[in-house]
Amino acid sequence: MPTAGAATEANVECPPNMTFAELLRANQSMVFSLAYHFLRDRGAAEEVAQDVFLRLHGKLDDLADSRHVVFWLRKVTSHRCIDYARKRGSQFTIALDDTSEPSVASQPGDPLLNRRLQQLIAALPEKPRMVVVLRYQEDLTPEEISEVLEMPVRTVKSHLHRSLAMLREKIERSMGDIR
Amino acid sequence: MQDFEQQLRDALARKEQPPYFEAKVLAATRRQPKPVFLRWAFATASALLIAAGIWTDHRAGIQAKEQLQLALRVTVTELGKVQRTVRASTEEE
Amino acid sequence: MIKLALITCLSLAPLGAQELKIPASLDRLAAKATEVVDVTMDANLLQLAGRFLSDKNPDDAQVKKLIEGLKGIYVRSFEFAKQGEYQDSDVEPVRAQLHTPAWSRIVGVRSQKSNENSEVYVKTGNGKIGGLAILVTEPKQLTIVSIEGSIDPDQLGQLGGHFGIPKIDTRKETGHGKDE
Repeated sequence: MPTAGAATEANVECPPNMTFAELLRANQSMVFSLAYHFLRDRGAAEEVAQDVFLRLHGKLDDLADSRHVVFWLRKVTSHRCIDYARKRGSQFTIALDDTSEPSVASQPGDPLLNRRLQQLIAALPEKPRMVVVLRYQEDLTPEEISEVLEMPVRTVKSHLHRSLAMLREKIERSMGDIR
Repeated sequence: MQDFEQQLRDALARKEQPPYFEAKVLAATRRQPKPVFLRWAFATASALLIAAGIWTDHRAGIQAKEQLQLALRVTVTELGKVQRTVRASTEEE
Repeated sequence: MIKLALITCLSLAPLGAQELKIPASLDRLAAKATEVVDVTMDANLLQLAGRFLSDKNPDDAQVKKLIEGLKGIYVRSFEFAKQGEYQDSDVEPVRAQLHTPAWSRIVGVRSQKSNENSEVYVKTGNGKIGGLAILVTEPKQLTIVSIEGSIDPDQLGQLGGHFGIPKIDTRKETGHGKDE
């Protein structure tokens, strides 16, 4: 379970009444990463992230507080990613050249294991995939994910449970017992 | 289980966006046109306001001209009356 | 006649001017009147009206020139169906203002026949006319005109027959021309 919600961290990063440029600077890594982990395509992630921020730019006056922006960004990015993946359909390919991509901090853990996990996550169906990304990239609780993705908490938990079981089984099969 | 979840967190750690991303988005916002509806609404509202302003000014101006005309008509008529009375009283004398 | 009186009073008139204020109490006469003319034009309204006067139209141009130096035109005229609808006391506040050193009466004539009393006053200062007031009382009509600012009565007279203003006919009775 999450130690500290990423949403809480983001709130700290986003005090009220920030300008668009400040919001962009504070949240670009989060938006880009959501898109990248979901789509596994750097160009597509960039395209989606830019689209999300342009939407934010047009919507900023309607968002009462900068703190709502973080929730709005997660929600719009998630839905935009799912739409993008559906439109792309069979053209979907997993980029395998991501080992050179820098993380915000140097990526922790075993690089080989990380890469294999990323590939397995990318192979999940769209909604469970986004649930996993939001859960482990953003450290959101199932309740928070249910709000972002507009699905029942029970469904979120179900997606998480099945996805984790499937990922664990596949990673164990390909790399041995990770414990 | 906790180790596996930590592995997932490590695998899904935030990625850094391309270094040019921020500048690219900011540039795009400057180019971003207003939504068509907003542009139409803005243009229509502006046109209506200008038209209303012009019409109000025009109507007020016409009214002012008519008021002036009336005021001068009364003034000149009354001056004529005064002259007539003066002439009449002079003739009486 | 008016012109001669003007020249005389310009040379004698004291400096320092006072605006003629048409008393609000006169407004109650409107309820009894069959016809009312109520015009209040301050400098702003005159300026606005001036913008709607064409320089190309000779009549408009003449009026435009006339109002250039004006600060205001105020007219109250009441026409009654019968005599006795207004009292001397109604007009007294106006007369009281005109009977101050700032104002000079250039014409004061009373017709015994028609019981009409006509008075013309000018406000003068620095050898210039700074205002004109006309007070005409008839048994069934009361008219007060106050023009603030530099005004040439000759120019006013020339307006007759132009700009929708009836030509001054001194030989016979005429109305205001309100319905003309």
